Amino acid sequence: MNDTRHAPIRRIVVSVNGASTDPLVVEYAATIAKPTKAAIVVLHVVEIDWTLPLDGSAAGLSEEAQRILDIAEASAERVGIRLEPVLLKARNVGAAIVDEAAAQEAELLVLGLPYRTRFGGDFVMGTTVPYVFKNAPCTVILVREPMPEDGA
Amino acid sequence: MIGGRRPLHGRKLGDRRVRVERPHSAYFRYTGPGQLTAKATASAPTTPLGRAWASVRHVLFGRQLSNEEEAYERLPKKLALPIFSSDAISSSAYATEEILRVLVIGGASAIIFSIPVAIAIAAMLAIVSTSYRQVCRAYPSGGGAYVVARENISQIAGLIAAAALLIDYVMTVAVSTASAVAQVYSVIPQVYDYRIEIAIASIALITIGNLRGLREAGLVFASPTYMFVGLALLMIGLGFARIITGTAPDVPPPSDAVAMGTAPVTGILLVFLLLRSFAGGSVALTGVEAIANGVPAFKPPEAKNAANTMTMMAILLGVLFIGITVIADTFNVLPTTEGGPTVVAQVSAAVFGDGSILFILFQAATALILFLAVNTSFNAFPRLAAILAKDGFMPRQFSFRGDRLAFSWGIVSLAAVAGVLLVIFGGDVHALIPLYSVGVFVCFTLSQIGMVRHWNSSRDSGWWWRAIVNGGGAVLTFVVFLVVVSMKFLDGAWLVVVLVPTLVAMMLFINRQYAASARQLALRPDQVMTAPDREERVVIPISTLNRAVVQAVNVGRSITDDVRAVLVSDEPEMAEEVREAWQRQMPGVTLVVVESPYRALTGPLLAYLDVLDQAWPPDTEAPITFVVIPEYVARHWWERILYNQSTNRLRTALIGRPNTVVTQVPYRREEPALFDRTPGSEEA
Repeated sequence: MNDTRHAPIRRIVVSVNGASTDPLVVEYAATIAKPTKAAIVVLHVVEIDWTLPLDGSAAGLSEEAQRILDIAEASAERVGIRLEPVLLKARNVGAAIVDEAAAQEAELLVLGLPYRTRFGGDFVMGTTVPYVFKNAPCTVILVREPMPEDGA
Repeated sequence: MIGGRRPLHGRKLGDRRVRVERPHSAYFRYTGPGQLTAKATASAPTTPLGRAWASVRHVLFGRQLSNEEEAYERLPKKLALPIFSSDAISSSAYATEEILRVLVIGGASAIIFSIPVAIAIAAMLAIVSTSYRQVCRAYPSGGGAYVVARENISQIAGLIAAAALLIDYVMTVAVSTASAVAQVYSVIPQVYDYRIEIAIASIALITIGNLRGLREAGLVFASPTYMFVGLALLMIGLGFARIITGTAPDVPPPSDAVAMGTAPVTGILLVFLLLRSFAGGSVALTGVEAIANGVPAFKPPEAKNAANTMTMMAILLGVLFIGITVIADTFNVLPTTEGGPTVVAQVSAAVFGDGSILFILFQAATALILFLAVNTSFNAFPRLAAILAKDGFMPRQFSFRGDRLAFSWGIVSLAAVAGVLLVIFGGDVHALIPLYSVGVFVCFTLSQIGMVRHWNSSRDSGWWWRAIVNGGGAVLTFVVFLVVVSMKFLDGAWLVVVLVPTLVAMMLFINRQYAASARQLALRPDQVMTAPDREERVVIPISTLNRAVVQAVNVGRSITDDVRAVLVSDEPEMAEEVREAWQRQMPGVTLVVVESPYRALTGPLLAYLDVLDQAWPPDTEAPITFVVIPEYVARHWWERILYNQSTNRLRTALIGRPNTVVTQVPYRREEPALFDRTPGSEEA
């Protein structure tokens, strides 16, 4: 595990999922990366159902998934940052994010979380964020989008 | 890169992930469902020659800019002022002289009118610039007089204004460059022999500057303009201080001063002189309309910024022009014959002191701004041409923007035409000047009439006083137009009077062509097109049997089963050899040999296609004939001369033939694998 308490950050993994938080996450990571010129890997994981082969053809899923990364790449370029996009297929999104962050030797993992509530008003976090918080080898920053005005 | 397409194992048992390739990412970006946006790498050259040319362009013009960077290229007011106003502001350097040069003929009794004439011109400048301020706000998409006249008078009036302006912009480049070079060789006479080369070089430099993009050109050209304005204002301030304190010097007339008339001029002759001096001084107004043409080049709010820049330019020009004229009049400065010091040079020498640093700096700034005056045309001409091209009155290429978002076609065309003019007229200012500043008054008049009609129909608040201002301006500028044309007609202005209708006719012709092709290509909105149900046949012209031909036959077979090769030959023995080989090596594909005793190749093939058409059952829809031409791809540019000459001729002959599609099948030397297989190896 990398100790990020003192050493400058050199590699950041940013996870995007096509949600409204994507630009926020990329810009936030860019702000952190700029002073130390840290490399940013932007990651999108496509969850593949257990009924389908994991290593089958990627052609069917490519366009929408690729677009999520391309949009992230474009928003990074707008703030003057280049990033390395990585597209993954996996059974478990949280596990793939954690494993990729470890493989990339990331010192920081940045995730986004849209502000969602379920019927009854309880805040929804889903399963990926808690999994990453529990298992990520490095520092994790969660960027939650601002609460909608009518949700306050 | 970590991994490949094989699954990567995670830290926990059963956690696996697979990387998905992103083959598009080097060249494209997905921006929407079914929508890709090309990256710069997609248009990067792939051949060594292309790469070399791209490097040259990168050095000369800078890196490619994307459309998204257009907003950054927009001009703030402080850069727009020098870019669009260098022509107008620079004319303060010679407008006073144009007035004095005429009035001096009438002697002292006429010269006293120099200030009233300058004030009258400044009043006209105020009216014209007020009018163009309104044009900026009413027509924020740019286009100036052309758009105003087109929208409010008629299309022809708009085209007349556009043609007059285009001619004037070309003339501005030619005249300003020639006159700036004249400033140089009046100081360094040895330069005279190279005046055309220097003129062409300076146009080339300004062309490159403009091709580098609006903002960069603005940064390059801003400092000389501000230097001239600053020093001229300082000169006027110091000059006025001396007038107020009563220490104004009486400048002794130079030895080469124009001889002043002695007989007092009165009556009709005085009116004539005043009109002529008014027309002469009115050159100060050329370039005023450039801002109205280029409103979209401004930073938002475009119209407001353009209108304010217009006012700033008019105030600066008015102050400089009246200031220099008042000082010249009070200091008794007289114009000189050709080669002598200019009026503005005498004024600056009197104010700053002859030979002083400020004097030298001011002279240098004057020469520079005269060189840069052409820059206004380099911005206005391409913009106007782009608007005309979008409206279908000029070739569409003029509306395309180059690597740096500049209208490259317009810029290069302007430079080329102005360069040719300079060569034809031998770089002589006096030969060019009669053609100058005629067109600008045509479009002033048309735009003012257009604005009167605009106010009359819009009836916005205060419309009536605006209409009165524009109406008065229209009358005034029309009078000046008549004066300018009548004074310069025989000297060469007749050429402009001929050129404007010619250009208008050309633009109408282009528009008719585009309109006709658009009509022919148009789909009715209610039409829903279904897949065609027509038969196809393939004809492959060959000269022998080789790998390229085999490839073409294979492509033909993928289109339809009706494939035939046609050998047009003037050598029966050779044709027989090809037939024998064909039957042996290409079983199942028809070969038709057309003997051509008159040695023609294209004609007999076309005739054969006609015969095929005529042989088709008349009650059935004609089939689509695919002419599949085998082609050998040359590896180097020089090899292209050696190959495919007859196929090029054939392709040209077939373009436009009804129901015919020409398909070229290239054979590349790098792909021989198919033919290198030995018989039986496929089964192995």
